[in-house]
Amino acid sequence: MDKAEIKKRLNDIQSLPTLPPIVSKLNEMVADEEITAVKLGKVIEKDQVLTSKLLKMVNSSFFGFPQRISTVSNAIVLLGFNVIKTLIVTSSIFEVMQASDVGLFEHSLGCAAACGIIAKRRQIKNPEEVSTAGLIHDLGKIVLRSELPEEYEAIVTEAREKGRYMREVEKERIGIGHGEIGGMLARQWNLPERLVFPIEYHHKPEQAPDFKEIAAIVHFSDILIRAVGFGNGGDPWVPALDHNAWERIKLTKSQMKEIIAELDEKLLELQDFTLEIKVEG
Amino acid sequence: MQRIPIKLAKEGMVLAKDAVTPEGQVLCGVDTSLNEELIARLKRQGVLVISVQGHPVRMPGELSLSEKLKELDKRFSKVQNDPVLRALKHLLGEHLVVEEKGAEFLEKLKKGS
Ligand SMILES: [Fe+2]
Ligand SMILES: [Fe+2]
Repeated sequence: MDKAEIKKRLNDIQSLPTLPPIVSKLNEMVADEEITAVKLGKVIEKDQVLTSKLLKMVNSSFFGFPQRISTVSNAIVLLGFNVIKTLIVTSSIFEVMQASDVGLFEHSLGCAAACGIIAKRRQIKNPEEVSTAGLIHDLGKIVLRSELPEEYEAIVTEAREKGRYMREVEKERIGIGHGEIGGMLARQWNLPERLVFPIEYHHKPEQAPDFKEIAAIVHFSDILIRAVGFGNGGDPWVPALDHNAWERIKLTKSQMKEIIAELDEKLLELQDFTLEIKVEG
Repeated sequence: MQRIPIKLAKEGMVLAKDAVTPEGQVLCGVDTSLNEELIARLKRQGVLVISVQGHPVRMPGELSLSEKLKELDKRFSKVQNDPVLRALKHLLGEHLVVEEKGAEFLEKLKKGS
Protein backbone atom coordinates (compact mmCIF):
# COMPACT_ATOMS: atom_id res chain seq x y z
CA MET A 1 0.00 0.00 0.00
CA ASP A 2 1.46 3.39 -0.87
CA LYS A 3 1.05 6.71 0.82
CA ALA A 4 -1.57 8.01 -1.59
CA GLU A 5 -3.71 4.95 -1.06
CA ILE A 6 -3.40 5.25 2.70
CA LYS A 7 -4.40 8.88 2.49
CA LYS A 8 -7.40 7.97 0.39
CA ARG A 9 -8.47 5.36 2.89
CA LEU A 10 -8.09 7.74 5.76
CA ASN A 11 -10.08 10.33 3.91
CA ASP A 12 -13.28 8.39 4.15
CA ILE A 13 -12.88 6.81 7.46
CA GLN A 14 -15.59 4.30 8.09
CA SER A 15 -14.89 2.40 11.26
CA LEU A 16 -14.31 5.42 13.47
CA PRO A 17 -17.44 6.74 15.08
CA THR A 18 -18.82 9.53 12.94
CA LEU A 19 -18.88 13.11 14.07
CA PRO A 20 -21.90 13.85 16.16
CA PRO A 21 -24.33 15.94 14.04
CA ILE A 22 -24.27 18.54 16.76
CA VAL A 23 -20.73 19.50 15.71
CA SER A 24 -21.69 20.91 12.32
CA LYS A 25 -24.54 22.79 13.91
CA LEU A 26 -22.14 24.25 16.48
CA ASN A 27 -19.69 25.18 13.74
CA GLU A 28 -22.42 27.12 11.97
CA MET A 29 -23.40 28.84 15.17
CA VAL A 30 -19.83 29.85 15.96
CA ALA A 31 -19.47 31.41 12.51
CA ASP A 32 -22.19 33.80 13.63
CA GLU A 33 -20.41 36.53 15.54
CA GLU A 34 -23.41 37.42 17.64
CA ILE A 35 -23.46 34.04 19.27
CA THR A 36 -22.94 33.86 23.03
CA ALA A 37 -21.58 31.14 25.26
CA VAL A 38 -24.97 30.87 26.90
CA LYS A 39 -26.71 30.18 23.57
CA LEU A 40 -24.08 27.65 22.56
CA GLY A 41 -24.29 26.01 25.95
CA LYS A 42 -28.05 25.67 25.61
CA VAL A 43 -27.72 23.82 22.32
CA ILE A 44 -25.20 21.40 23.73
CA GLU A 45 -27.16 20.87 26.91
CA LYS A 46 -30.09 19.51 24.92
CA ASP A 47 -27.99 16.40 24.54
CA GLN A 48 -27.83 15.10 28.08
CA VAL A 49 -25.42 12.25 27.48
CA LEU A 50 -22.99 14.52 25.70
CA THR A 51 -23.36 17.15 28.41
CA SER A 52 -22.55 14.78 31.22
CA LYS A 53 -19.55 13.40 29.34
CA LEU A 54 -18.36 16.89 28.61
CA LEU A 55 -18.68 18.08 32.18
CA LYS A 56 -16.85 15.02 33.41
CA MET A 57 -13.95 15.82 31.08
CA VAL A 58 -13.76 19.51 31.92
CA ASN A 59 -13.84 18.73 35.63
CA SER A 60 -11.18 16.07 35.40
CA SER A 61 -7.85 16.83 36.93
CA PHE A 62 -5.88 17.50 33.77
CA PHE A 63 -7.53 20.88 33.42
CA GLY A 64 -7.25 21.41 37.14
CA PHE A 65 -9.84 24.09 37.78
CA PRO A 66 -10.19 24.65 41.51
CA GLN A 67 -13.96 25.12 41.42
CA ARG A 68 -16.42 22.71 39.86
CA ILE A 69 -17.74 23.65 36.43
CA SER A 70 -21.41 22.81 36.43
CA THR A 71 -22.81 24.18 33.16
CA VAL A 72 -21.70 23.93 29.55
CA SER A 73 -21.82 27.68 29.04
CA ASN A 74 -19.50 28.12 32.01
CA ALA A 75 -17.19 25.55 30.51
CA ILE A 76 -17.17 27.50 27.23
CA VAL A 77 -16.36 30.75 29.01
CA LEU A 78 -13.59 29.18 31.12
CA LEU A 79 -12.01 26.84 28.59
CA GLY A 80 -12.84 28.47 25.29
CA PHE A 81 -14.86 27.13 22.42
CA ASN A 82 -11.92 25.38 20.72
CA VAL A 83 -11.47 23.14 23.72
CA ILE A 84 -15.15 22.32 24.10
CA LYS A 85 -15.51 21.63 20.41
CA THR A 86 -12.49 19.32 20.42
CA LEU A 87 -13.84 17.44 23.41
CA ILE A 88 -17.18 16.98 21.65
CA VAL A 89 -15.57 15.88 18.39
CA THR A 90 -13.28 13.40 20.12
CA SER A 91 -15.60 12.14 22.85
CA SER A 92 -16.71 9.08 20.91
CA ILE A 93 -13.13 8.33 19.88
CA PHE A 94 -11.99 8.41 23.47
CA GLU A 95 -14.79 6.06 24.34
CA VAL A 96 -13.47 3.60 21.78
CA MET A 97 -9.98 4.12 23.13
CA GLN A 98 -10.97 3.50 26.75
CA ALA A 99 -12.40 0.18 25.74
CA SER A 100 -9.74 -0.97 23.29
CA ASP A 101 -6.52 0.60 24.51
CA VAL A 102 -6.46 1.82 28.12
CA GLY A 103 -2.69 2.27 27.91
CA LEU A 104 -2.96 4.81 25.09
CA PHE A 105 -5.88 6.49 26.85
CA GLU A 106 -3.76 6.95 29.97
CA HIS A 107 -0.79 8.10 27.91
CA SER A 108 -3.05 10.76 26.33
CA LEU A 109 -4.53 11.95 29.63
CA GLY A 110 -1.09 12.06 31.20
CA CYS A 111 0.34 14.03 28.30
CA ALA A 112 -2.58 16.47 28.59
CA ALA A 113 -1.81 16.95 32.28
CA ALA A 114 1.88 17.59 31.59
CA CYS A 115 1.00 20.06 28.81
CA GLY A 116 -1.28 21.97 31.16
CA ILE A 117 1.37 22.22 33.87
CA ILE A 118 4.04 23.48 31.48
CA ALA A 119 1.70 25.82 29.57
CA LYS A 120 0.58 27.46 32.82
CA ARG A 121 4.20 27.99 33.87
CA ARG A 122 4.93 29.60 30.53
CA GLN A 123 1.85 31.77 30.99
CA ILE A 124 0.35 30.79 27.70
CA LYS A 125 -2.96 32.55 27.21
CA ASN A 126 -5.23 29.53 27.04
CA PRO A 127 -3.36 26.66 28.74
CA GLU A 128 -6.41 24.40 28.42
CA GLU A 129 -6.00 24.52 24.67
CA VAL A 130 -2.49 23.14 25.05
CA SER A 131 -3.81 20.40 27.35
CA THR A 132 -6.34 19.55 24.69
CA ALA A 133 -3.64 19.33 22.03
CA GLY A 134 -1.81 16.94 24.36
CA LEU A 135 -4.95 14.93 24.87
CA ILE A 136 -5.32 14.21 21.16
CA HIS A 137 -1.66 14.27 20.04
CA ASP A 138 -1.67 10.54 19.26
CA LEU A 139 -4.99 10.62 17.44
CA GLY A 140 -3.19 9.12 14.44
CA LYS A 141 -2.50 5.94 16.37
CA ILE A 142 -6.17 5.44 17.13
CA VAL A 143 -7.01 5.96 13.47
CA LEU A 144 -4.33 3.50 12.39
CA ARG A 145 -5.55 0.95 14.84
CA SER A 146 -9.14 1.09 13.69
CA GLU A 147 -8.56 1.65 9.96
CA LEU A 148 -5.53 -0.54 9.31
CA PRO A 149 -5.62 -3.04 12.17
CA GLU A 150 -3.23 -5.57 10.63
CA GLU A 151 -0.63 -2.98 9.75
CA TYR A 152 -1.00 -1.44 13.19
CA GLU A 153 -0.45 -4.78 14.88
CA ALA A 154 2.63 -5.43 12.75
CA ILE A 155 4.01 -1.96 13.50
CA VAL A 156 3.55 -2.32 17.27
CA THR A 157 5.09 -5.79 17.28
CA GLU A 158 8.10 -4.72 15.26
CA ALA A 159 8.65 -1.65 17.45
CA ARG A 160 8.57 -3.78 20.58
CA GLU A 161 10.61 -6.70 19.36
CA LYS A 162 13.30 -4.77 17.54
CA GLY A 163 13.49 -1.97 20.08
CA ARG A 164 12.47 0.71 17.58
CA TYR A 165 10.26 3.76 17.66
CA MET A 166 6.76 3.26 16.32
CA ARG A 167 6.89 6.24 14.02
CA GLU A 168 10.03 4.94 12.28
CA VAL A 169 8.33 1.63 11.61
CA GLU A 170 5.18 3.45 10.44
CA LYS A 171 7.21 5.41 7.91
CA GLU A 172 8.81 2.23 6.56
CA ARG A 173 5.70 0.13 6.39
CA ILE A 174 3.03 2.59 5.33
CA GLY A 175 4.98 5.68 4.35
CA ILE A 176 3.29 8.04 6.78
CA GLY A 177 3.63 8.68 10.50
CA HIS A 178 0.87 8.91 13.10
CA GLY A 179 1.53 12.61 13.58
CA GLU A 180 0.69 13.37 9.98
CA ILE A 181 -2.37 11.10 10.09
CA GLY A 182 -3.65 12.83 13.23
CA GLY A 183 -3.08 16.19 11.60
CA MET A 184 -5.08 15.17 8.52
CA LEU A 185 -8.02 14.11 10.64
CA ALA A 186 -7.92 17.18 12.85
CA ARG A 187 -7.95 19.33 9.72
CA GLN A 188 -10.85 17.36 8.32
CA TRP A 189 -12.75 18.22 11.48
CA ASN A 190 -11.97 21.90 11.07
CA LEU A 191 -10.07 22.12 14.31
CA PRO A 192 -8.02 25.33 14.50
CA GLU A 193 -4.35 25.33 13.49
CA ARG A 194 -3.35 25.95 17.11
CA LEU A 195 -4.41 22.34 17.63
CA VAL A 196 -3.70 20.84 14.20
CA PHE A 197 -0.01 21.82 14.05
CA PRO A 198 0.98 20.57 17.50
CA ILE A 199 -0.64 17.20 16.73
CA GLU A 200 0.89 16.94 13.29
CA TYR A 201 4.38 17.98 14.40
CA HIS A 202 4.63 16.56 17.90
CA HIS A 203 7.67 14.52 16.88
CA LYS A 204 9.29 17.34 14.85
CA PRO A 205 7.98 20.52 16.48
CA GLU A 206 10.43 22.89 14.79
CA GLN A 207 8.94 22.06 11.39
CA ALA A 208 5.50 23.30 12.41
CA PRO A 209 4.58 26.29 10.19
CA ASP A 210 3.18 28.10 13.23
CA PHE A 211 2.47 27.65 16.95
CA LYS A 212 5.94 26.23 17.47
CA GLU A 213 5.83 26.90 21.20
CA ILE A 214 2.67 24.83 21.68
CA ALA A 215 4.16 22.11 19.48
CA ALA A 216 7.31 22.16 21.62
CA ILE A 217 5.27 21.80 24.82
CA VAL A 218 3.34 18.83 23.43
CA HIS A 219 6.61 17.33 22.16
CA PHE A 220 8.25 17.57 25.55
CA SER A 221 5.14 16.48 27.49
CA ASP A 222 4.97 13.33 25.36
CA ILE A 223 8.59 12.64 26.33
CA LEU A 224 7.98 13.45 29.98
CA ILE A 225 4.95 11.20 30.36
CA ARG A 226 6.79 8.29 28.78
CA ALA A 227 9.79 9.01 30.97
CA VAL A 228 7.56 8.77 34.03
CA GLY A 229 6.17 5.51 32.65
CA PHE A 230 2.49 6.42 32.90
CA GLY A 231 0.19 4.71 30.39
CA ASN A 232 1.42 3.18 27.18
CA GLY A 233 2.15 5.13 23.99
CA GLY A 234 2.63 2.09 21.74
CA ASP A 235 6.35 1.46 22.14
CA PRO A 236 7.97 1.67 25.58
CA TRP A 237 10.84 4.05 24.66
CA VAL A 238 11.35 7.65 25.65
CA PRO A 239 11.40 9.51 22.30
CA ALA A 240 14.32 11.65 21.13
CA LEU A 241 14.26 15.27 22.21
CA ASP A 242 14.39 18.03 19.61
CA HIS A 243 16.96 20.40 21.06
CA ASN A 244 15.80 23.44 19.14
CA ALA A 245 12.32 22.93 20.56
CA TRP A 246 13.88 22.46 23.99
CA GLU A 247 15.65 25.82 23.65
CA ARG A 248 12.22 27.39 23.25
CA ILE A 249 10.76 26.05 26.46
CA LYS A 250 13.91 25.17 28.41
CA LEU A 251 13.32 24.38 32.07
CA THR A 252 15.90 24.64 34.83
CA LYS A 253 16.68 21.69 37.04
CA SER A 254 14.69 23.07 39.94
CA GLN A 255 11.70 23.90 37.71
CA MET A 256 11.89 20.38 36.34
CA LYS A 257 11.84 19.00 39.88
CA GLU A 258 8.73 20.99 40.71
CA ILE A 259 7.03 19.86 37.52
CA ILE A 260 7.78 16.21 38.28
CA ALA A 261 6.22 16.55 41.73
CA GLU A 262 3.20 18.43 40.38
CA LEU A 263 2.70 15.89 37.61
CA ASP A 264 2.94 13.02 40.07
CA GLU A 265 0.04 14.43 42.07
CA LYS A 266 -2.02 14.97 38.93
CA LEU A 267 -1.38 11.42 37.78
CA LEU A 268 -2.66 10.04 41.06
CA GLU A 269 -5.86 12.01 40.56
CA LEU A 270 -6.05 10.84 36.96
CA GLN A 271 -5.83 7.25 38.08
CA ASP A 272 -8.89 7.86 40.21
CA PHE A 273 -10.57 9.42 37.16
CA THR A 274 -9.88 6.45 34.86
CA LEU A 275 -10.90 4.10 37.65
CA GLU A 276 -14.19 5.96 38.00
CA ILE A 277 -14.80 5.60 34.27
CA LYS A 278 -14.05 1.90 34.43
CA VAL A 279 -16.40 1.41 37.36
CA GLU A 280 -19.21 3.37 35.74
CA GLY A 281 -18.63 1.60 32.44
CA MET B 1 4.26 9.74 49.83
CA GLN B 2 1.76 7.06 48.91
CA ARG B 3 -1.96 7.16 48.27
CA ILE B 4 -3.71 4.18 49.75
CA PRO B 5 -7.33 3.07 50.10
CA ILE B 6 -8.54 3.72 53.66
CA LYS B 7 -8.99 0.02 54.29
CA LEU B 8 -5.21 -0.43 54.15
CA ALA B 9 -4.57 2.31 56.74
CA LYS B 10 -2.70 1.14 59.83
CA GLU B 11 -1.92 2.62 63.23
CA GLY B 12 1.33 4.60 63.12
CA MET B 13 1.04 5.80 59.52
CA VAL B 14 1.45 9.56 59.13
CA LEU B 15 -0.72 11.66 56.81
CA ALA B 16 1.25 13.28 53.99
CA LYS B 17 -1.80 15.34 53.03
CA ASP B 18 -5.08 16.33 54.68
CA ALA B 19 -7.61 13.52 54.85
CA VAL B 20 -10.70 14.68 52.97
CA THR B 21 -14.12 13.24 52.23
CA PRO B 22 -15.16 12.81 48.57
CA GLU B 23 -17.13 16.03 49.06
CA GLY B 24 -13.93 17.85 49.91
CA GLN B 25 -14.42 18.29 53.66
CA VAL B 26 -11.13 18.19 55.58
CA LEU B 27 -11.30 15.82 58.55
CA CYS B 28 -7.71 15.46 59.60
CA GLY B 29 -4.65 17.60 58.90
CA VAL B 30 -1.34 16.76 57.27
CA ASP B 31 1.31 15.24 59.62
CA THR B 32 -1.34 13.60 61.83
CA SER B 33 -0.23 10.23 63.08
CA LEU B 34 -3.04 7.70 62.67
CA ASN B 35 -4.42 5.46 65.41
CA GLU B 36 -7.24 2.92 65.34
CA GLU B 37 -9.77 5.40 66.61
CA LEU B 38 -8.94 7.99 63.96
CA ILE B 39 -8.97 5.42 61.18
CA ALA B 40 -12.42 4.24 62.24
CA ARG B 41 -13.67 7.82 62.27
CA LEU B 42 -12.30 8.52 58.77
CA LYS B 43 -14.01 5.38 57.46
CA ARG B 44 -17.28 6.37 59.10
CA GLN B 45 -17.16 9.83 57.52
CA GLY B 46 -16.75 8.34 54.04
CA VAL B 47 -13.04 8.94 53.35
CA LEU B 48 -11.97 6.56 50.57
CA VAL B 49 -8.31 7.31 49.94
CA ILE B 50 -5.58 8.91 52.05
CA SER B 51 -2.02 10.03 51.37
CA VAL B 52 0.56 8.79 53.86
CA GLN B 53 4.27 9.43 54.30
CA GLY B 54 6.81 7.04 52.88
CA HIS B 55 5.71 3.96 51.02
CA PRO B 56 4.29 1.59 53.63
CA VAL B 57 2.14 -0.61 51.40
CA ARG B 58 3.29 -2.67 48.43
CA MET B 59 0.20 -2.92 46.22
CA PRO B 60 -0.41 -6.15 44.32
CA GLY B 61 1.58 -6.02 41.09
CA GLU B 62 3.54 -2.99 42.24
CA LEU B 63 7.27 -3.04 41.57
CA SER B 64 9.91 -2.65 44.26
CA LEU B 65 12.05 0.49 44.23
CA SER B 66 14.99 -1.24 42.57
CA GLU B 67 12.70 -2.73 39.94
CA LYS B 68 11.20 0.72 39.30
CA LEU B 69 14.69 2.16 38.81
CA LYS B 70 15.56 -0.64 36.42
CA GLU B 71 12.40 0.05 34.39
CA LEU B 72 13.32 3.73 34.30
CA ASP B 73 16.71 2.81 32.85
CA LYS B 74 15.08 0.64 30.23
CA ARG B 75 12.68 3.33 29.08
CA PHE B 76 15.61 5.71 28.54
CA SER B 77 17.76 3.14 26.75
CA LYS B 78 17.38 4.77 23.31
CA VAL B 79 18.26 8.29 24.44
CA GLN B 80 21.24 7.67 26.70
CA ASN B 81 23.48 10.07 24.82
CA ASP B 82 21.18 13.05 25.25
CA PRO B 83 22.44 15.22 28.14
CA VAL B 84 19.04 16.89 28.76
CA LEU B 85 17.24 13.56 28.92
CA ARG B 86 20.01 12.06 31.04
CA ALA B 87 19.44 14.85 33.53
CA LEU B 88 15.69 14.20 33.39
CA LYS B 89 16.23 10.52 34.10
CA HIS B 90 18.43 11.39 37.03
CA LEU B 91 15.74 13.67 38.52
CA LEU B 92 13.05 11.02 38.04
CA GLY B 93 15.25 8.44 39.75
CA GLU B 94 15.76 10.78 42.71
CA HIS B 95 12.04 11.42 42.81
CA LEU B 96 11.34 7.68 43.04
CA VAL B 97 13.84 7.30 45.89
CA VAL B 98 12.41 10.26 47.82
CA GLU B 99 8.83 9.02 47.35
CA GLU B 100 9.68 5.71 48.97
CA LYS B 101 12.45 6.46 51.42
CA GLY B 102 12.11 10.16 52.15
CA ALA B 103 14.39 13.11 51.41
CA GLU B 104 16.87 12.34 54.22
CA PHE B 105 17.61 8.95 52.71
CA LEU B 106 18.52 10.56 49.38
CA GLU B 107 20.81 13.05 51.12
CA LYS B 108 22.59 10.23 52.91
CA LEU B 109 22.85 8.31 49.67
CA LYS B 110 24.42 11.33 47.94
CA LYS B 111 26.92 11.87 50.73
CA GLY B 112 27.81 8.18 50.80
CA SER B 113 28.56 7.90 47.12
FE1 LIG C 1 3.37 10.29 19.04
FE1 LIG D 1 2.50 10.11 22.44
